[in-house]
Amino acid sequence: MRGSDAALGAAGCAVFVLLGEAVPRLGLVDEDHFPPAGRIAVALGSELSDTAFWSALGDTLTGWALGLAIAVSAGVVAGVVISVTPYLREVTASTIEFLRPIPSVALIPLAVLLYGTELRSVLLLVVYAAFWQVLIQVLYGVRDVDPVAEETARSYGLGAWARIRHVLWPTALPYVMTGVRLAAAVALILAVTAELVIGAPGLGARIAVAQTSQAVPEMYALIVVTGVLGLLVNVGARAVERRALAWHQSVRGEVAV
Amino acid sequence: MRRLLVGLTAGSVLAAVTACGSSDPGGKDTAGSSGKATTVKVGIVPVLDVAPVYLGEKQGFYSDRGLELELVPAQGGAAIVPAVMSGQFQFGFSNTTSLLVARSKNVPVKAVANGAASTGRSGADFAAITVGKGSPLTSAKQLEGKKAAVNTLNNICDTSIRESVRKDGGDPSKVEFVEMPFDRMPAALDGGQVDAACTPEPALATVKAAGGKEIASNFHDVSPDLTVAMYFTSEQFAGENPELVKKFQEATAESLKYADSHPEEVRQILSTYTKIPATLLEKLTLPRYPAGPDRPSIERLAELGERDGLFEKAPDLDELLP
Repeated sequence: MRGSDAALGAAGCAVFVLLGEAVPRLGLVDEDHFPPAGRIAVALGSELSDTAFWSALGDTLTGWALGLAIAVSAGVVAGVVISVTPYLREVTASTIEFLRPIPSVALIPLAVLLYGTELRSVLLLVVYAAFWQVLIQVLYGVRDVDPVAEETARSYGLGAWARIRHVLWPTALPYVMTGVRLAAAVALILAVTAELVIGAPGLGARIAVAQTSQAVPEMYALIVVTGVLGLLVNVGARAVERRALAWHQSVRGEVAV
Repeated sequence: MRRLLVGLTAGSVLAAVTACGSSDPGGKDTAGSSGKATTVKVGIVPVLDVAPVYLGEKQGFYSDRGLELELVPAQGGAAIVPAVMSGQFQFGFSNTTSLLVARSKNVPVKAVANGAASTGRSGADFAAITVGKGSPLTSAKQLEGKKAAVNTLNNICDTSIRESVRKDGGDPSKVEFVEMPFDRMPAALDGGQVDAACTPEPALATVKAAGGKEIASNFHDVSPDLTVAMYFTSEQFAGENPELVKKFQEATAESLKYADSHPEEVRQILSTYTKIPATLLEKLTLPRYPAGPDRPSIERLAELGERDGLFEKAPDLDELLP
């Protein structure tokens, strides 16, 4: 089952690469503006042998990882605190719905004003975008707590912390994991976007330099790298999810098939 | 599950610690300390115009004066101006019209050194109005009723294109301007989305390599010695650090002079901070790098900007220029 999945995935990639080679070769788009896959691969090779590329990759991953860690921890803590405090839930509900749809990119001028073109402005955008993904999932997750379980825990004399630990958290965890998975992808998008637009060091800034330099194959090579990163992030997030929820019926069921 | 929670908490603490510790703003412990080099952050756009500061840094013109440059590539003035105003950068690079617009809105920018200038030769400038391969357009006047691409609306590109059209006897109000980044313009010309484009190098060489042609030298049409861009700081920083600003001015003037007389070294240094392909690098028309800004050309640019309605009130050049 898994083997054939992997084979199908690889076949999909191969078809995509072939299309990328064929479309410019057939003259459907101009080779100067969309180079064939072969030329992109050559440019990718020379990127990979450049130390500046690796430090840019490191910068992007640092921004992504730090931003995601901050967003997830803040989102989980805020989500649990808001959910268990009835007043807080009422007070914050409309504010959250107001802030959540604001695109992180709209905060770029603020980020530059506060932090210039440094890592911290990337973090501001990444955290802002990823935080809501986690927070909303935690809020939904807590709402899903079985009232009978909650009442049982109460009648057995469990304190607030014990109830969070043994009743609320296990119920919310599948939601939290979904939030983390979404946040991981959003954080990567925002890290690269912030670098691209602000010019903070990283893959995005390298893409911008390639663009202004009319180095088209190099630009696509770097875009391929960000795509691969996205793929790895998704695979990684799923692996974490599966481990953390190994006890949960959704994952147990998956394994049994 | 507990391990996960512990891991997340530890991660966030670590994140908070590194986020606080990693990036002290440079140039804080500045102001004339003796002996030790002062780090100044300069926000630049990674294009041809800033080659002299890279070259000057390499030649030691800045370190001789106790300045250690940290050149921070940023994406255009939108990122650089606020960063200079808030003190994240000590200096920044911007085109002249943007500085005029900022000044007219009472943003306290202060030009300190020249950036780059038009070559003074019509038809052989580092920027031009170009048309795609096979375009019937041959002169600026024919842009009437046509679409021209500029990188930013109400800025140096459309002001100068209007002047080219006017000088050619056309009506500039009949030109339709479309905003897009320089790097997209060659493709837009090829695809026919626009009829003409304001293309500085390396977009200019790209368009020419694809069979496109120049129809006018728009910067040259404003003034043969047009000061296209300058380095600036905030009025506050200039007031508080006159010594440092003076050192930066002197070092930049020396760098400009050096770059102007060593075009081959300019091309070489370009390959370090841009990714311009080697095939294009030889074909580039370099700007001129005069040591100081050309005031009459800036006055002319301000006049044209006023005519085009770029300013709410006329910018005060005495306040802007060094």
